[in-house]
Amino acid sequence: MADAAAPAPPSPPVDLSRITFESTRNRRRIIASYWFIVILALPLWWRTTSIDRLSLPESRARVLAEKHLSSPVHVELRGSQEQLEHVHTLHHELARWISPVAEANGLSFTAGQGPHTRKAGPGSYNVVLENRQDAVVEGRSLHIGLNEPSAGQRVIDTVTKILVPHVSQTASEEHRVVKYSPRYRLAFSLLNEDASSGRAALSWDVREAVDTYLHGTFDRLSVLHNFTIESQVQYHAPLAFEPRAIHVADNDAHGLTPEDLTVFVNSAEWTLASSSSNDPVLHFVLFVPSSQHSPLYILDHEGQATTSDAFVLPQWGGILVLNSPPSHLTVSELAKTFHTFHRQLLTLLGVPDLPAGVQSRQAEAFTDWQLDALVRQRARQNFENSKDTLNSIVKLVHQIENMPVGEDVQGDVQDALDALDAALEAVPSSSTQALQRSAEALTLSSRAFFNPGMLALLYFPAEHKYAVYAPLFASVAAPLIAAIVREVIAWRKARRAARQPEARARAD
Amino acid sequence: MIETLPLSLLLLLVCSICSAKESFSERLVLSPNLDGTVTASFAFTTLLEGARPRDPAALAEEDDSQHYTLFPLALGQILRDNAITELHLTLNAGKWDYQNWGYPEEEGVGTGAELWAWMGEGAVQTADERWKNLRNALAGLFCASIGSLDEQRTTSPALTFQPEGDLPLSSTTHALRHGTLPSERVCTENLTPFLKLLPCKARSGIATLLNPHRLFDADWHGMGVHVRYLEGAGIEVRLAFQAVLNPVRYSGDKKRDWSMTSLFDRSIERSCPVASSSEIAVRVPPAGGAITEPAPLARHAGFAVYDVKHVDKPIDVGMRWPEETQFEYSLDAPQSALMIRRRLSGSDQYKGQLSVVLTNKAPHEVKTSYLETMPWLLQFYLHSLRVVCDGIPRDDLVSIVSYTPPVPHARPSLLQAVLTLPANSTVQLTMDVVKPFLRYTEHPPDAQRGWDLPPAVFVPLGANATGAARLRRVYTPVLLVDLATPDFSMPYNVIIMSCTLIALVFGGVFNLLTRKFVVVALAPAAPADT
Repeated sequence: MADAAAPAPPSPPVDLSRITFESTRNRRRIIASYWFIVILALPLWWRTTSIDRLSLPESRARVLAEKHLSSPVHVELRGSQEQLEHVHTLHHELARWISPVAEANGLSFTAGQGPHTRKAGPGSYNVVLENRQDAVVEGRSLHIGLNEPSAGQRVIDTVTKILVPHVSQTASEEHRVVKYSPRYRLAFSLLNEDASSGRAALSWDVREAVDTYLHGTFDRLSVLHNFTIESQVQYHAPLAFEPRAIHVADNDAHGLTPEDLTVFVNSAEWTLASSSSNDPVLHFVLFVPSSQHSPLYILDHEGQATTSDAFVLPQWGGILVLNSPPSHLTVSELAKTFHTFHRQLLTLLGVPDLPAGVQSRQAEAFTDWQLDALVRQRARQNFENSKDTLNSIVKLVHQIENMPVGEDVQGDVQDALDALDAALEAVPSSSTQALQRSAEALTLSSRAFFNPGMLALLYFPAEHKYAVYAPLFASVAAPLIAAIVREVIAWRKARRAARQPEARARAD
Repeated sequence: MIETLPLSLLLLLVCSICSAKESFSERLVLSPNLDGTVTASFAFTTLLEGARPRDPAALAEEDDSQHYTLFPLALGQILRDNAITELHLTLNAGKWDYQNWGYPEEEGVGTGAELWAWMGEGAVQTADERWKNLRNALAGLFCASIGSLDEQRTTSPALTFQPEGDLPLSSTTHALRHGTLPSERVCTENLTPFLKLLPCKARSGIATLLNPHRLFDADWHGMGVHVRYLEGAGIEVRLAFQAVLNPVRYSGDKKRDWSMTSLFDRSIERSCPVASSSEIAVRVPPAGGAITEPAPLARHAGFAVYDVKHVDKPIDVGMRWPEETQFEYSLDAPQSALMIRRRLSGSDQYKGQLSVVLTNKAPHEVKTSYLETMPWLLQFYLHSLRVVCDGIPRDDLVSIVSYTPPVPHARPSLLQAVLTLPANSTVQLTMDVVKPFLRYTEHPPDAQRGWDLPPAVFVPLGANATGAARLRRVYTPVLLVDLATPDFSMPYNVIIMSCTLIALVFGGVFNLLTRKFVVVALAPAAPADT
């Protein structure tokens, strides 16, 4: 046992450097190859987890932001032989006074004089000075009297108002106008507050009435909008409030105060909205009060009944109150109603009024001057809105880094920019074309803005992703980094050790 | 009275004008049942005379403007936008008891939502796209989740769901789309838009009785929208509401006497001014002993009929059993000619067995079609289909008409068969089924509740095939299947677990490869002095 317990002679130490992976060089190679793979994998990881953000044509959008539509407008002054002098002076005055106003509203104004050198067409108008008191518009010609001493200023005012009517509009008038859309649904509703209480209009010849009273207007407006028509009748459409009881000429009546008008539409009970398309809807409601509330008047701020029986809800539609109707409304009985609806429609669509004191000699509801002014105004609005939308998209994409930008968004933005360029190109020759292009741009840009794909990752932020991967990455990264640190320390120590004997040798 | 007389004359005059285009009629059938309940079936029918369904080939073109007086505009728009020829939507809650309540006035009584539509083909948009639009539009209109009747639930069982109206004769063929959503619940939010489609809403006429507080307290309730095209007449839309109310439960003295006020908490006070006909029919039980109040206008074919076209004073129809002091529930269950039971057995998470038991009490042989539209949540082993008739295997009694196997995560299975039931016999069908595993994201909220499976539909085929009477559908109750549900925190657990394992393996290997081993030479122990 003692022999066995005696220590064996120590075996010669193993030369570890002869095992391949124990040599310093190989060990460093192994670590390097790990890191090599990690670094190689990084782009792949980046690629598979990054959000698809295509670049948007930002510089083009920025360049376009500086540009504005500017439609050329030419006014030709004419007059009889004895008024030539007036014509001459007025022509300079016109150019001097109107140009700055027109400039600010996207028009490049020129004035001319003389006999029929130019045919009146879109963008080109005649002003004829005559011996008359009033002013009359016919087609694209304005016939105006020049008798009074201040007549010159009057001509200038009238021409300004008729060329850029929205300058003289108040804010509330502007608010009534609906947002531009190439297509509107017009929903005509005959609402009986309570048909079973008697005094109700049970049916109406709405199809014929629309054809008779509105068709001409639709045709004239077809440059701007298309219309889809629908109508319905409701027999129980209660109000959400109780109208105020009043006395009119010793008779019991009810009245709607201005506050009541704002809450008149009872959305909970009236099913007016058509949900079958995304086109904006303009509602025209013929409201028949129940026998308890009849007659129903619209009151002014003092609580006095007014003669008006209709009102416009801005950007929503028009309402007309019809007291004690016949039970079936024929086309001729609907004449007054549809004239009111017609006026309301024009107001909502932003067709400007003629300036005070100017009459139209045309059978149509509005003159070419008004239509042209509206086309120019809409083209300009669309152009500006579309530009704003495009710039908002660019800004938004910059702000939210998680927001994906797909091919469809990029394509829509590019198409919208192309359409805007086309509008700029078209505007000198035809404001109608410019309107069409700008409407296209508006549709495309809002479609890009509301693209549902852009919202996808808002609710799955990058932090979430890192949190999921952290258990793997953290625990793998720790030994990798530790190994590098260890190697660097070992390498520096080795270098110092190598240098020291040298230094010592030199000192000797 | 002085005012109502000229008014009613006026209305007559007006309706002669308006009926040239559109007409509206309403009808309520009240029938007392054997178990003391009362079935109330409301039907509001609007006929758009002379109208035709939109030609699907013209879908790309601009549509005519739509002018409606009585026809619901919101529904009309949906029908025209998708060129739908025939449409049936039912939203029901409860299990229809064919034994006690008899065959329903409105035959679509399957629990949950059921939507089926016939539409012409040949449009720019395919039938499937229009089916999708239709689902979504109706889901929006009725505040129901029928938008989720997607491809995974859509089938085309043309054998069972034949058009109820006519299909316009044209070169285009027509396609059927059908889907059921048995887990859909019907409630007030569905009734409100339904009432808004009625010309008189719930404010006058028979619709006054549609009081949500009572209807949704009923033993069974369901609503339906049925649109069909009738050649030569026009497009008809029928809005139907059906409820089985329980007066014994409402009354304090356990009597089955009922009146409108006791059932609906309302009576009819005003007539709907635009209804061309408005009538209430009360089925008088043949057993006798019942008194109908007030005295009806007419009686025919076992029904007491009331006209509510002109209402002078509130109408409150009721029925009394003066000789009864208390309602006695009948102990021996009444038997209808055909009884159907369907069950799913097996507690396994993978396998199960579907069995259908049909009892034919009739003294003659009955043929019936059998339809299963099963989501892929339950997959049939068709080879294991066994038919046993009164204890004797009789595989010859069933003939499979068509079978479309399911595609997991994509398409439901469709089984159409014809069964022959010998006279006075009980036939049992059994079939093995498997329950698939669902993807993590396919589970609904409240996944532990299980999945509702659509009812099977039987259509007893008449003895004489030429019988003009339409074949009537019989729905079985729905089934509930329990699928294997995961622990929903599982994905995170899996991530953590696998990350830990990978990190462990990686760390081990990496350390082995890069660790520097150093040999420590131990000095030999000093030799002992001896």
